[in-house]
Amino acid sequence: MTSTDHQAEIAADKAARKRAKRMKRFDNPWLNPKLIWGAGLLLAIVALGLIGRMLWNLELVYTGSTPLKLPPLGFENLRKQPGVLDYPLGTDGSGRDILALIIMGAPNSLFVGLLASLIGMSTGIVLGFTAGFVGGRTDDVIRVLSDVMITIPPLLILVVFQSAFGDVSLTMMALLIAGFVWQSPTRLIRAQVLSMKQSGYVQMAQLSGASTTDIMFKEMLPNLIPYLFGSFIASVTTAIVTAVGLEVLGLGPQRIPTLGRTIYEAINAGALIQNLWWWWGIPTLLLATMFIGLLLINLGLDEVSNPRLRKA
Amino acid sequence: MKLTKTILMGSTLALTAMWGAAFAQNVAREDTVIFDLDRTIKDPDNFNWFTPGTKRMHGAHQTMWEPLFILNYNTGALDPWLATGFEANEDSTEFTLTLRDGVEWSDGEAFNADDVVFTVNMALENEEISSREASTIRAQVASVEKVDDLTVTFALKEPNPRFVVENFGVRIFGSFLIMPEHVWNGEDPATFAFNPPIGTGPYTFTSAATNRAIWDRNDDWWGAKTGFMDLPEPQRVIFLETGGAESRAQLMVTNELDAAQNVGVGTFEAIAAQNPNVIAWHSDYPYAASDPCARQLEINTTVTPWDNPAMRKAVAHIIDRSQIVNVAYEGTTVPSETMFAQYGSMAPFIDAVKEAGYGLPATADVAAGQALIEEAGWTKGGDGIYEKDGQQLSVDIHVNSASTEYTRTIDIVVEQLNRAGIAAKAVPVENGVFWGEVLPFGKYEMSYSWLSCGSVNEPWASMGRYTVSDVVPVGERSPGFNNTARWSGDAAAAYSAIVDQMADLTLGDPEIPGMVAEAYQHLDAEMPFIPLVQAAKLLPMNTTYWTGWPTAENYYNHPFFWWNHTHQIIHNLEKAG
Repeated sequence: MTSTDHQAEIAADKAARKRAKRMKRFDNPWLNPKLIWGAGLLLAIVALGLIGRMLWNLELVYTGSTPLKLPPLGFENLRKQPGVLDYPLGTDGSGRDILALIIMGAPNSLFVGLLASLIGMSTGIVLGFTAGFVGGRTDDVIRVLSDVMITIPPLLILVVFQSAFGDVSLTMMALLIAGFVWQSPTRLIRAQVLSMKQSGYVQMAQLSGASTTDIMFKEMLPNLIPYLFGSFIASVTTAIVTAVGLEVLGLGPQRIPTLGRTIYEAINAGALIQNLWWWWGIPTLLLATMFIGLLLINLGLDEVSNPRLRKA
Repeated sequence: MKLTKTILMGSTLALTAMWGAAFAQNVAREDTVIFDLDRTIKDPDNFNWFTPGTKRMHGAHQTMWEPLFILNYNTGALDPWLATGFEANEDSTEFTLTLRDGVEWSDGEAFNADDVVFTVNMALENEEISSREASTIRAQVASVEKVDDLTVTFALKEPNPRFVVENFGVRIFGSFLIMPEHVWNGEDPATFAFNPPIGTGPYTFTSAATNRAIWDRNDDWWGAKTGFMDLPEPQRVIFLETGGAESRAQLMVTNELDAAQNVGVGTFEAIAAQNPNVIAWHSDYPYAASDPCARQLEINTTVTPWDNPAMRKAVAHIIDRSQIVNVAYEGTTVPSETMFAQYGSMAPFIDAVKEAGYGLPATADVAAGQALIEEAGWTKGGDGIYEKDGQQLSVDIHVNSASTEYTRTIDIVVEQLNRAGIAAKAVPVENGVFWGEVLPFGKYEMSYSWLSCGSVNEPWASMGRYTVSDVVPVGERSPGFNNTARWSGDAAAAYSAIVDQMADLTLGDPEIPGMVAEAYQHLDAEMPFIPLVQAAKLLPMNTTYWTGWPTAENYYNHPFFWWNHTHQIIHNLEKAG
């Protein structure tokens, strides 16, 4: 009995080791399930925008192009009208098709987030490296600037700005938001650069006469990539939250459909009391999907940059 | 020990006293009527209604200040209030008003001819006071004299058979309010804050903040003492800023509000489904009461390219009124055919305009509009928007953000213009800013408004608002919101000449419809404003605590509770149950 037990144990051990060996070959940290799921969710939203644009009649996003307040297919509204196939996700109170609205709106919201944090991150990378590597006066100026800026609540400033500006384009809104998402990457990168500056390979590069920009971007930057990605995703989330916040207050672009503006219009037109749940519910659901996707990506990137988080 | 005891006793006493005071101020919900206020009270400590701002529609002229007469929209008669009657001379240049005996200010002083003469003179002598009612008096009255304590005579600059209803009759929104001489004497009417305010009404001012005003019943009211009317039943009247359709709907459902401002038909149906005590003017679709102020698109005629009448006409062609009715109003109103309110009493004038060929179509003729734009030298760019000399054809349309009725209408107009090739954009502005800064000073290109409002049974009141005599430069205040479009030029002058002639004719003169049509050709050719749709107000009223609301079946007057006639509504309210 004991010998068979022992044999089985050995066999199991062997199999486990074999499996572990095989897994190791594919054990690319970038392929962890969180990252894959997160990216999948975001890609689904992008795909909705791209495929929808080809298949669906986008003229339906304009005011007055559909009957009012129709429910999604399979539901009834308060007036007992059933949903129809022509407008499968229902219509809003101004005669716009919800499906067309989200096909146009969801990628727009993502676009604002990506653009804003791309600009913000690039600024952050340049400033962070400069501050950390150059040091001295430059460091003081950049550090004080980002420390001051980080205490300013962006929504407050943007609300004032947008209401003074009136109608803004999506790009303009992204630019404005970018002005508020560069501070934390700047600080993060500066700290990393300061610690990395002392490491052997950087000092080696310095001794061999590499230029400052070369050291910053060719030697140090590649080591920071997981960090940068994590920080990038975090700022995309911040940027989208800010953009949606502005839109829900009615301060976003007027004629360009966005998820936030759709929610704003729903609230403004009394959609809650009229039980027009699809009007505000569907955009909210999409925003939730977007944020869950971003969160998963962020968690996944954490695993990439911090091996201790990986499952044994 | 002793000290502790004293302190304890003392604080108990103090607490009891405070409790007592608080208790005295508490009025039970069932004794309180709460009206909806659609704007912020920017300056809650100021009650000088001669100056711009929310100084009267937050309860002041509904509960505290009473008018001399109230026009009854049902009977067409002037219901006497602080005055009992009037007489005019043969050619309507001299009016003698008789005041009611026994009227008192809430501080006990008598209300009499001195107050009337004093207040009117204040309006005549102070050019800088700007309210519409004061401007109208200043434009019409040559002099005013006291005959005896209850009789006042007005001498007019020109014949005006409508003098009393226009100035003292609450024909549209307000009336010229009489102020107490013993308080205002020696004060500068342009800056006096009139705080604490007093009036002759059955309520006195209790407190106000930016979002509400509270008025409590004066049980010593003159009207009850003289037998003019019983004391109204509500002990307290509150005007509360609710802000937005959603919150006013929720407040109606939970009985926290007794009368709400305009809501959409879907919202009303949802409220009524959840709270069967909530009613409206009509018990069935379309529920809404027609408002005498038809909606229009006001155009600043001094700004290029809209100073070109052809461009304004183009916009008029592009606008599809039936779409506004169907989408913004969900079918509860009708497209405007002329500038006038489509009341039965206005039919002769509307028909005259239509027969002359100046009636407005319900649907758009985009091609005709685009042809006019192209004639003016614009060509369509790649993005579908017209361009000239590298400039896009664009327009900002200012809209009051107080109600979704307004913003949704403009959203649709913006959409229609964009699709036809004009880069239009809505600029929502807060109510106070809209009426205080944007419209009167001409700081807009186009704007949502109802400024041709005025006529309910004759054409002059509306048409007289666009004459050249009221044109002022941009940046100066339009007198009484008249001709804020700043329409001038030959056509405007020709129009004004006919309208001025019309002003002298008595009501019902058979020549008037013909003159209306003649004057209207200039309006039609130049379009200083574009009539959009008739206004309908769907005002939810709650019968949980109060009954006796004005409805089509109980038509003692119209239900627009932000008007000066709301005294009648409050007197008609009865405690439910």
